[in-house]
Amino acid sequence: MKLGTLISTAVVGLMLSTSLSLAGPEIVSGPGVDPACFAPWNADTKYMQWPTKAGPYKVAVVNGFVGNGWRIQMIKTAKAFAEDPAMKDKIAEFKVVSTGTDAPAQLGAIEDFINQGYDAIVTIAVSPDGFDRVIRLADKNNVVLVPFDNVLDTDKVMQVNEDQLKMGRMWAQFALDELKAKGVTSGKILEVRGLPGNSVDRDRSIGINETFKADGGNWEMVSVVGNWDDGTTQKVVADAIAVHGQFDAVVGQGGSNGVIQALMDAGHPWVPVAGESENGYRKAIAKYSDEGLKGISIGQSPGLVAIAMKAAVSALEGNVMPQLISVPLPVATYKDLEDGKNYWSDLPDNFFTVNEFPPCGVNISGPSIMAQSEADVK
Amino acid sequence: MADKRSALATNMRQNVAFYSAIAMLVALYLVYNMLHPRGFSAAVLIQNSNESVAIVFLAMAQTVPVLLGGLDLSVGAIMTLANCIASEVVNGSPLQIVLGMIITLATGTAFGLVNGLIVVYGRLQPIIATLATGAVAVGLALFIRPVPGGNVDDDISWALTNDLYEFVDTYGLFDADAGWFQTISWIPVPLLIVVMIAFGVWLPFKRTVTGRTIYAIGSAEGAAYMSGLPIDRAKIAAFTLAGFFAACGGLYLAIQTSSGNADITQAGAYTLNSIAAVVVGGTSLLGGVGGAIGSLVGALILRVISFYFRIVSIDPLLQPLVEGLVLLVAVSLGAFRTLRVKNQLNLFR
Repeated sequence: MKLGTLISTAVVGLMLSTSLSLAGPEIVSGPGVDPACFAPWNADTKYMQWPTKAGPYKVAVVNGFVGNGWRIQMIKTAKAFAEDPAMKDKIAEFKVVSTGTDAPAQLGAIEDFINQGYDAIVTIAVSPDGFDRVIRLADKNNVVLVPFDNVLDTDKVMQVNEDQLKMGRMWAQFALDELKAKGVTSGKILEVRGLPGNSVDRDRSIGINETFKADGGNWEMVSVVGNWDDGTTQKVVADAIAVHGQFDAVVGQGGSNGVIQALMDAGHPWVPVAGESENGYRKAIAKYSDEGLKGISIGQSPGLVAIAMKAAVSALEGNVMPQLISVPLPVATYKDLEDGKNYWSDLPDNFFTVNEFPPCGVNISGPSIMAQSEADVK
Repeated sequence: MADKRSALATNMRQNVAFYSAIAMLVALYLVYNMLHPRGFSAAVLIQNSNESVAIVFLAMAQTVPVLLGGLDLSVGAIMTLANCIASEVVNGSPLQIVLGMIITLATGTAFGLVNGLIVVYGRLQPIIATLATGAVAVGLALFIRPVPGGNVDDDISWALTNDLYEFVDTYGLFDADAGWFQTISWIPVPLLIVVMIAFGVWLPFKRTVTGRTIYAIGSAEGAAYMSGLPIDRAKIAAFTLAGFFAACGGLYLAIQTSSGNADITQAGAYTLNSIAAVVVGGTSLLGGVGGAIGSLVGALILRVISFYFRIVSIDPLLQPLVEGLVLLVAVSLGAFRTLRVKNQLNLFR
């Protein structure tokens, strides 16, 4: 590269970077577009509006960790949704990368897509903090950055999530109610935590623990870390049972198949269990609820990626968007499980049953997405 | 003149892995820039160097113990510890910031020193000793920062992750628009930091008796001992230097993300990648051959490979497979010569 070109590029870059008129979203007043799909988090949620851009758009998904069933289902859903008739015409280019649990690599990938001229970047943050620089760059280049699932501790970007705190509270409340129905008002509760260090694990755990604390009963909380992974969870739950003997309820954030397996292997009597939305877990609840496995299943849906993509495109079209979009919690207890509707007894254990969100036009169900081979969604 | 040329030829022959790594990096990076819609621009260079700093420092850290014939499994953990410390202390007045940086680097260096002392006086295998101390470092990091967050001075984080222009402009050192400055104002600060540490710390160190002894231990510890070289001092110095480089990585990570995060999985991933980078950069895992500059190149190769996934369409679920295959090819390139020779001693001729 010639020095002259280099200098002129640098100069142009500098002129761009020194213009203090920071672009990016404007804070406007609500209500936002399509509130059935893009529901604001609460009454205090701000609204944002980006300058309208002409489509079709270049959209990238920057995933972090890959390697559990949830993330794979998420990636497959993203690809399928990009091909969906409602989205296909609006997307000119679509790319998915996974950077692993590596903050510099994820930040780098986001910055790279901004440099490449992408219009929207959807991401699962590897850490709730540390994105100041890319947010600044995205705003400068009018790129819509949408973190979802593991969101950031900031109100400067539009984010999509389910209310993790509420999820934790509902799990704990369910366990408390079932225990009270059995006449148990004190005892040992096993809490199974997720991947340490990110906001989802933190918020769910806060919700669980504050609910038990608020109850006033004498509850002893035992916490183990299962990384939301069936294998790890099974191991740590088995260890906990070996050490503590018996628990009155198990409140797990994920890896619920592992919880069930560990309880069965140890010959632990069935107790109220709270967990995620794995198909195998729902199968077990349906099968054993008469014997005492009173279960609740609330899912963090891999379909969140589709809503984040839809929100990004909607923002690019110039619509008014809530800064924090709340996706309703898909709850199912042992009372309302129905084979073929919210779980599938003839399908494998390891996919997440909740995937579709009809109010948003996201109609890709868990079984259909996992049944598709790689060739189908390419 | 003829002598010089043959000296160069010998150098090339002896360091074929290093030179092939450089050739590979240049080729990979040129093609990347050609494919990139904004290739050969300052913005792309800044982004690339920002992303690479942490892994480059860790690769350099890993190199020193590997040259001894050992492995340091604590480099990722020391980086994480330094990252968490920096998120507490690198803010406030300029003096406090500088002091915070020194504290961060000193902690990492001290941790490396402890590694060295345990290996030498505890007579433990480096791989086991550092596995244990790595766990200690992560534990300390979690203790300091149980939840991700913290605060690193905004100005320093903006100035050090951009080009020289922004650096000068942020601190108002002089008129950043001055004519003479424009020829160099596009240079990314992270690139300068890496070059300064690599050439300012590693190369001088390598030329000292202690540095030479590290190579000698890796080649033949018995012979080094019989030659009266300071074995213990060299081993302790090697791990101390590794701690220092790892702390540099952690400090930069904190500056880059303006926060700290005691991320255990990330620490593990960085340790493993640092070993890969060392091998790709032409340092032998058996010790005695290679150097930190090679590992710097190796780490950059690892990074550039992953850059490709953002401009070339490869199925996301196949990306790890492709990355692994390219890595295998990269490692094999350096090993070709070893396969050809009948006697490994020929490699040193």
